[in-house]
Amino acid sequence: MAHLHIKNLQAGYGKKLILDNINLTVEQGEMIALLGPSGCGKTTLLNALCGFVPVSHGEIFAGNRAVSQLPAEKRNITMVFQSYALWPHMTVAQNIGYGLKVQKAKRADIDARVAELLRIVKLDGLDHEKVTALSGGQRQRVALARALAIRPDVLVLDEPLSNLDAKVRLSVRHEIKALQKQLGFTSLIVTHDQEEALVMADRIAVLNQGKIEQIGTPEEIYHHPSTPFVADFMGAENHIEWPTHDDAFCLNLSNHADQLDIYFRSESAVLSAHPTSENADFNAGLTISGQVEQSVFFGNNYQISVRCGKHTIQVDHDQNLPEHTPATLRIPIDALHVFAKKEKHSDHQKTNIVSAKSMRMNHVC
Amino acid sequence: MRQTTSHNLLKNHLWLIAPAALMVGIFFLYPLCFSLYSAITLDSGEFTLTHLNKAFELYSKDILFTIIIVLISVAILAVLSITIAALITLSPFRSLSKILGFLYRLPLFIPFIVTAQMMRSFLAKNGLMNNAFVASGLLTPMDTVSFLGWSGIIITFVWKQLAFSTLLISGAMAALDDSQIRAARNLGASRLRILFQIILPQITPTLGVAMVLSIVTMMSVLSVPLMIGTGSPTMMTADMAFRINSYGDYHVANALGLVSYCICAGLAWFYLRQNLKEKGAN
Ligand SMILES: Nc1ncnc2c1ncn2[C@@H]1O[C@H](COP(=O)(O)OP(=O)(O)OP(=O)(O)O)[C@@H](O)[C@H]1O
Ligand SMILES: [Mg+2]
Repeated sequence: MAHLHIKNLQAGYGKKLILDNINLTVEQGEMIALLGPSGCGKTTLLNALCGFVPVSHGEIFAGNRAVSQLPAEKRNITMVFQSYALWPHMTVAQNIGYGLKVQKAKRADIDARVAELLRIVKLDGLDHEKVTALSGGQRQRVALARALAIRPDVLVLDEPLSNLDAKVRLSVRHEIKALQKQLGFTSLIVTHDQEEALVMADRIAVLNQGKIEQIGTPEEIYHHPSTPFVADFMGAENHIEWPTHDDAFCLNLSNHADQLDIYFRSESAVLSAHPTSENADFNAGLTISGQVEQSVFFGNNYQISVRCGKHTIQVDHDQNLPEHTPATLRIPIDALHVFAKKEKHSDHQKTNIVSAKSMRMNHVC
Repeated sequence: MRQTTSHNLLKNHLWLIAPAALMVGIFFLYPLCFSLYSAITLDSGEFTLTHLNKAFELYSKDILFTIIIVLISVAILAVLSITIAALITLSPFRSLSKILGFLYRLPLFIPFIVTAQMMRSFLAKNGLMNNAFVASGLLTPMDTVSFLGWSGIIITFVWKQLAFSTLLISGAMAALDDSQIRAARNLGASRLRILFQIILPQITPTLGVAMVLSIVTMMSVLSVPLMIGTGSPTMMTADMAFRINSYGDYHVANALGLVSYCICAGLAWFYLRQNLKEKGAN
């Protein structure tokens, strides 16, 4: 295992550029999750690392080797595919041992390594089973064992869990993470499930339209998204453009002259159905009054849609509320992700990050 | 209740498939049965083996010749079409494989008799190929040899059937999940190794179908042995035509037909058995 260093990488299909100026370092033994919406270029990035998509600019280092111009078979970077990509005409043991056979390892060494891997991925005793006779979860574990068998420098996984059903997914997710800790392999895992990324990865890289928007620990990405896209993608689905020119909204921040994008999560908003009775004890960064539009049961709570003017805000609440109940929402100041809007006339000016905490409080209703 | 309705349905709509069934019966089953019947009966209708005896006596050499020609052709065919299909699927040069993917289909649209005529003017002693060699100074007119004869027949068969079998085989290769090949590559396997260890084992059924169908086609072509063969030994189709045209001897012609039918059936049986064995192993 070695660290992976991607420098100014540019890649695409033919003339179509998909990835632009990607810089990313995966430390030895670290697992980084590549998170992004469909079509943003996650698979393309893994394919470029493995040598299935040509790199038009930049360099990839696996350890100290520059590999971007090597053919796929010389890179020593292996992939676990979304579709498993097992060879149906071979047994489990043959699938796992294939890479070693290609390297002309001795029969006995191959057998020993295969047995070891079968034990690691908890498939002992299935050596001579045809892979077509396995369940999805078992197949994915064979694929993992096969990719690990040759001790690659870097392991990349392309949505390894997306073909599994919810329950199996949780257990395989757990197993991959445990294995990664135990064996310490350097890996890059692609997912579009934010929870998966938070749970499995040491760090997360959020990808959007072929560019990395933010790299950081799961906590950083979750609590301090650096762009509106990351905030939205990490589940802060309520979005308000400030100023709203609506009395129902009351913002407790400074620099109201600026145009702002405000994001917050449904679980961080506190809903009170009787606005006058309980007054705000805490410093609400944003107060919104509106009417209940819909209430949906979610098991441990209700998700309530509150209508305020042209906005519909999602809030978690512990009780069911009838329609048209007047409701007041308070969102604490540190749960707000606030971004200064890009000025329309000066495109070159980058989006400024306005940390809600660092702002001077200033009541503006 | 349900069964009776479906029964009625069948009864009422039987006439829908009647035309097709009738066509198969009149134009295929009846002639086939009649030809088999004619091969083993006298004019009076009594059972006899004399026609078969005669066929073997007169034409055993040609039967052997036919089998050898067909087997050699099919072996060359398999090698060539696998090579072309593999180049199309695995080649890193996209434009080359695109051109190849277009070119190999051309013979598909040329009938056997035209192919035979083309090959005749191409392969003859003073044909196109030798003239080209002479013109380019590679050969002198004295050194040229005619390829008409057994080698010409093989070349023509292979040339004509190549398109068909490559079409089937490259189709089967394209149907394999691309990530299977990628998985092998990033474990370090070369393209040749991938062809033999990953791709071919998975497409053997298709390869078998392509080869059996090609054999049946080659066994049934008359124009090629007539136009490119040298007369003796020749292929069984030419003998059949000869029996009928020169002697009006349908019995021996049908006996020869029975023999070629048995050869095809034997090969098909061999293929099916092989296939079943593999299924059983799975
Ligand atoms: N073989 C290809 N040829 C041309 N364009 C492609 C090809 N494969 C993907 N693309 C394009 O590249 C872009 C990125 O695709 P990619 O497969 O990397 O997305 P992704 O992030 O993996 O999405 P998903 O989450 O849906 O798997 C897409 O816009 C897609 O249209
Ligand atoms: Mg993808």
